Amino acid sequence: MSKPGTYVGLDKEVWGGMTTIGKTIRDAWVFEILPETENCAGWNLAGIDALLQKVNAEWDKYGCLVSHLPAELRERHDRIHGDAFKKAKAVGWSGEFETDDENYIDTPEK
Amino acid sequence: MADKKYNAGVKEYRETYWMPEYTPLDTDLLACFKVTPQDGVPREEVAAAVAAESSTGTWTTVWTDLLTDLDHYKGRAYAIEDVPGDDTCFYAFIAYPLDLFEEGSVVNVLTSLVGNVFGFKALRALRLEDIRFPIAYVMTCNGPPQGIQVERDILNKYGRPLLGCTIKPKLGLSAKNYGRACYEGLRGGLDFTKDDENVNSQPFMRWRHRFDFVMEAIHKAEAETGERKGHYLNVTAPTSDEMMKRAEYAKEIGAPIIMHDYLTGGLSANTQLAQWCQENGMLLHIHRAMHAVLDRNPHHGIHFRVLTKILRLSGGDHLHSGTVVGKLEGDREATLGWIDIMRDSYIKEDRSRGIFFDQDWGAMPGVMPVASGGIHVWHMPALVNIFGDDSCLQFGGGTLGHPWGNAAGAAANRVAVEACVEARNQGRELEKEGKDILASAAKHSPELKMAMETWKEIKFEFDTVDKLDVAHK
Repeated sequence: MSKPGTYVGLDKEVWGGMTTIGKTIRDAWVFEILPETENCAGWNLAGIDALLQKVNAEWDKYGCLVSHLPAELRERHDRIHGDAFKKAKAVGWSGEFETDDENYIDTPEK
Repeated sequence: MADKKYNAGVKEYRETYWMPEYTPLDTDLLACFKVTPQDGVPREEVAAAVAAESSTGTWTTVWTDLLTDLDHYKGRAYAIEDVPGDDTCFYAFIAYPLDLFEEGSVVNVLTSLVGNVFGFKALRALRLEDIRFPIAYVMTCNGPPQGIQVERDILNKYGRPLLGCTIKPKLGLSAKNYGRACYEGLRGGLDFTKDDENVNSQPFMRWRHRFDFVMEAIHKAEAETGERKGHYLNVTAPTSDEMMKRAEYAKEIGAPIIMHDYLTGGLSANTQLAQWCQENGMLLHIHRAMHAVLDRNPHHGIHFRVLTKILRLSGGDHLHSGTVVGKLEGDREATLGWIDIMRDSYIKEDRSRGIFFDQDWGAMPGVMPVASGGIHVWHMPALVNIFGDDSCLQFGGGTLGHPWGNAAGAAANRVAVEACVEARNQGRELEKEGKDILASAAKHSPELKMAMETWKEIKFEFDTVDKLDVAHK
């Protein structure tokens, strides 16, 4: 099984980019660490990891919570993540994707 | 070969071990087995054989039997009952004298009750449905290291279910990024995060490295929220010495809680760890990997209510219980039955909940049930209603799958649980008014509002696997 050595780019991501890396890139747009035209296509893992550390440092200023963001950032967050949410829904993503892997039988048969 | 029939040996078991006139003593350990016999073997003979083979009997009568006080030590099959809706099997009730078992050793009890007898020729299948541990035996076991009330005192958290989340793979699972995911969950409002059960000490993330980064996350989240936080540091290890080494290190760095897989890790190791936790003021979270191997087949194995009792005696402060709601919906009454077994001091026989015997736990502390798997914020009203306050609700994908990230998912669940508890305390009916309760809370929490848009409908798509026998009628 071969895995790409570099990131495919947010516009080509699975589930409309509703992934950990996708969320990280969008947060980088929110905090203007990256321009919104940068989708990180061709980046390697180290580059994504470095971006994550920068995004984390920004979130630390606001306790990691959207509800703690100042108005301007909140507006950017709503716009950027709102658009992504709609796109992901349009390609069939839903919250159920996130819990599907927990779909085991946890109660014994009688 | 096909004509070869079961043969008891020198004499039939029922002559010695079938005692329908016997009245069990308060000190007897009682067991209920679901027995599926081979064709043509009488019920009484099979029940007696199970009693014999799980106590004093061997494959046949041997001369050394004469050197023991058989009448004192033997198991006694004292009753047989039909299984509702299933003519292929029956319930056999067996009483064992207390002296058959080493004090404080669930290992010894299981070695007898689910040992060689499960391969016995006279049986097609056998399932241990329930055990009544006499209070005299309960008193010889250490039990949960701390118990529910002490856990609340350690955490300084009262009057609501606790919230947890299992950390899932993130960017290659380096220890640093793993710790960050813990921090975000705890910062967002969770009480606990959890090592996945498969995370022990693999080459991609050795245990000590993980423990260090996770503790850094806990300290940071505690400093910022003013709350006590924890992470179930999985100390399950290849040897009990190694397990203890990891537990000692967790204590050294200030972790309040560690985790063990009690079935794959083994009951001797679990009991050892639980006793150490009790002596060292540590909480112990218990995972149950491998339980489905034992409890899923309705005719063969060990029912989970037995595994629950075994864990309470061996020791653990948390135990995964099933969710009742969500994709993993189990039989509600059966699940509530073993949740009572975890938490209550005295549980009455109640066949409607699958409980075959009264069980007196005396003063032994309770175990906190953990609801985990396939649940999200829309399930919160039902979970609070079903599990009550003394429970831990764990949303894995239901936290980490939030479109805004881990902290947002955690905040959504925290706001939701507090809204549900407040509504319940005001006398509102959670399962009827859940939507209104959550919608009202979401007006003040964008994280909850987004979670409610992410997970919309609650579907009960899957039939329950664990049906009580009465439901089969």
